[in-house]
Amino acid sequence: MNANEQKIADRIKELLCENLGIDADVLTDEIALFGDEIGLDSIDSMEIIACIDDEFGVSMTGTGKENFYNVESLAKYVAAHQG
Amino acid sequence: MTENKFRCVVTGLGMLNAIGNTVEECWSNAVDGVCGIRETAAVDTEGCYANLAAEVKADDLDKAKHASEMDRVSKLCVKAAGEALRDAGFEITDGNRERVGVIMGSCVGGVISIEDYYRNGESAADVTKMPISAIANMVAEEYGACGVVTNIANACAAGTISIAYACDLIRAGVADAFIAGGADAFASVPYAGFLSLHALDAQPCSPFNRCSGITLGEGSGALVVESYESAVKRGAKIYCEVLGAGISSDAHHITAPRPDGEGQMNAIRRALANSGLEPKDIQYINAHGTGTAKNDEAEFLSLHTIFDESNDDLSVSSTKSMVGHCLGAAGAVEAVFSVKALTENKVPPTVGYREEDMERLAERAGKIDFRPNVARDKKMTNVMSNSFAFGGNNASIIFSREAGNVTLPETREDVYVTGLGVVSPIGNGVENYIAKVAEASLPAEGSVHSEVGHEDYDACGLKMAFYRKLDKFSQLQAVSGMEALKNASLTVSDENATDIGIVVGTSDGPIATVCDFQQDLVRKGNAAGSAFKFPNTVYNAAGGYLSICSGIKGYNVTVTNGMQSGLSGIAYACNIIRAGQENAVLATGTDENGEIITSLYNKLGCVSASAHPAYAGQDGFVLSDGSTTLVLESGKSVAKRGVTPYAKVTGYGMTRADIRFGTVRGSEGAMADAIRLACEDAGISASDIDAVVGFANGMKAFDETEIAAYRAVFGDEKLAAVPIHNVKDLVGESRAAAAALSAGHAALMLAGKLEEVQNAYRYENGAVKAGKVSTAAYRRVLVTSVAAGGSCCAVVLERA
Repeated sequence: MNANEQKIADRIKELLCENLGIDADVLTDEIALFGDEIGLDSIDSMEIIACIDDEFGVSMTGTGKENFYNVESLAKYVAAHQG
Repeated sequence: MTENKFRCVVTGLGMLNAIGNTVEECWSNAVDGVCGIRETAAVDTEGCYANLAAEVKADDLDKAKHASEMDRVSKLCVKAAGEALRDAGFEITDGNRERVGVIMGSCVGGVISIEDYYRNGESAADVTKMPISAIANMVAEEYGACGVVTNIANACAAGTISIAYACDLIRAGVADAFIAGGADAFASVPYAGFLSLHALDAQPCSPFNRCSGITLGEGSGALVVESYESAVKRGAKIYCEVLGAGISSDAHHITAPRPDGEGQMNAIRRALANSGLEPKDIQYINAHGTGTAKNDEAEFLSLHTIFDESNDDLSVSSTKSMVGHCLGAAGAVEAVFSVKALTENKVPPTVGYREEDMERLAERAGKIDFRPNVARDKKMTNVMSNSFAFGGNNASIIFSREAGNVTLPETREDVYVTGLGVVSPIGNGVENYIAKVAEASLPAEGSVHSEVGHEDYDACGLKMAFYRKLDKFSQLQAVSGMEALKNASLTVSDENATDIGIVVGTSDGPIATVCDFQQDLVRKGNAAGSAFKFPNTVYNAAGGYLSICSGIKGYNVTVTNGMQSGLSGIAYACNIIRAGQENAVLATGTDENGEIITSLYNKLGCVSASAHPAYAGQDGFVLSDGSTTLVLESGKSVAKRGVTPYAKVTGYGMTRADIRFGTVRGSEGAMADAIRLACEDAGISASDIDAVVGFANGMKAFDETEIAAYRAVFGDEKLAAVPIHNVKDLVGESRAAAAALSAGHAALMLAGKLEEVQNAYRYENGAVKAGKVSTAAYRRVLVTSVAAGGSCCAVVLERA
């Protein structure tokens, strides 16, 4: 990730910990969000969409599943679509 | 056939919802297929994809005696209850009020007052209107009922479970009659919540048809359920019998039902078995039929699996297509529709089918008549009403023209305490609690709280993927519940999962989460509700999560009526075990304290500035939180497992003083009666009591009420010889958690697990004095608790 993407990723991590109850020491840029350890589900993905829209003004409604894989993929999507 | 002493009958009906303000109006419109769903003006729909609701249009809701002190939900309930009492010709008098109770179900309680609180200057007057607790109390206050008064908070199954519990208490001989049912008002919290889950239909809901979401409704349903003997003695008109009910939990997901329908089918099969009926005996089912794809698919599957083989003439409909999903009122409203269907021999329709929908319905319906659009005349003997709630709670109940075959065990099962789980501000776990009792220090300050962390989760085997979803209330409950199972060496397996139940007692439930969710809506609008937070706003989320993480699939109920809920939950659990419904039940008391709860209690002016002991003559208490779980187990199960119990629970008593909701003074007489009832139930007299674990919390109104009650029961001479123990000196006023912990403390003393010499109070020569006592000879310990609003509970524990 470039510096801008890393900055976005750090903010996304804060948002996910705050809003989805994830322990900060577990949430890395790479860990699979929908994997066993963190275990996000469809309700959580709605929450992520709302958070990202709120924070960055980027709508992720209806975008591909691959963008939600981990914090890095979310940050890259946001960076690429920020106006 | 059901013995007369176990027969419960319906003698009065009351109801209001979007299609009528009386039973007759609702019924006539339901038969005509009138849909009450319209665009709503009651909540802000800006930016929201759905704007429909099924709202009540009554203009006389403010006629209740204390209407200005009620949330809309209580007003709806008081109105329906009044109609039911008038219909039953039931007069509550000084001669019968102690044998008449009120049990009401609700999902969201006084959320309109929570919205008002945050929009209009945080007025103290709104605070007592917020909790679900207020609803049954307001009904009891309006009509003067002084028997068992409580609320069932199991979301969309609450109304059904209320009726089932009322009948169980009548069969147990605890009461002659109940006003039972439920109420919920349409408000921004459920609207924005279901919107956030994308569970609202943009069009009027279309159960068993389009299945693209729910439409929220509001209303109340109330039934006078009465012992057959009482009804006959009064010469009352009898609508029908209430036969058995079945209550189960999914142990699957907090919002979605099990796709395989297992939990739903467990509830339906239990209801049939408890009624002495078979699938072929049911002519009509008022379905849960919410209109969401997940519910309707699971329900199609459950109904086909159970009924297809042996029932060729089953009709099913969802009246939610006309009155919307009334949440905690749904089961009550649908019970009234079911009773009307049975007694009028008419199946109400599911509306909303177009011509082109009929082919698909025919495919999905098979031989079941799903009654599209038009009512049907049909001779009926037995009808069933099903409610499948958020949190994976399922309830099914049967109404009949005949007495059925409801049986109870010949001799009632003994009930033992075999496990304890403690989460408290002085630490977690039973061993820790025992050590802290020995240290005997007061809480640190006027408002304290419990902590659960990695260590607790690891010890309970809970993973982050699970516990991260829980709010504080549910976290406290999950940890104490799992600890208790471990402490009881009780392993939940496929073989015993349905033989274990859960009764969560709470005073304030997840009100802090509801307030948090509501504040977001006030700030950001109803389109911005958090889908993550919303499931935790439901009172039974904690019980639902406990079912999920433990695998428990039996009875699951959340009962709420103030601080005493943690003790009356133990009485509830005893009843379930005595009736042979479960081998073991986790009976819990759980309440949470954080910034929001402290601010609400501060508004009421009852939080102390600093810590002080009981009987300190203060105007406030140390506000606290925690969760206590007792594993209660039948004598048979204890013998089979070969475990050593802590103590035996031998009796309970529950009463209500005729005082205003939110107050305590004047409860001493009712508390004395609760103690007498508990002793009678235990087959002892008050003079057999060796010690008490009481409810004093340092606030004068509580402490003086407690002593006055004991003086009335024991007399001053005996009372001077009865040590009064107190857990709140250690953990603070953790409300339902302290009430359950008082019973846990009694069990530990009786088991000899605490040090022999303990701190205790005595009342002698007109004053309460602190001192030390030897607990070595204790055989019988009384536990007491009271709720603001005058509901009292007493439980007797004996050495096992």
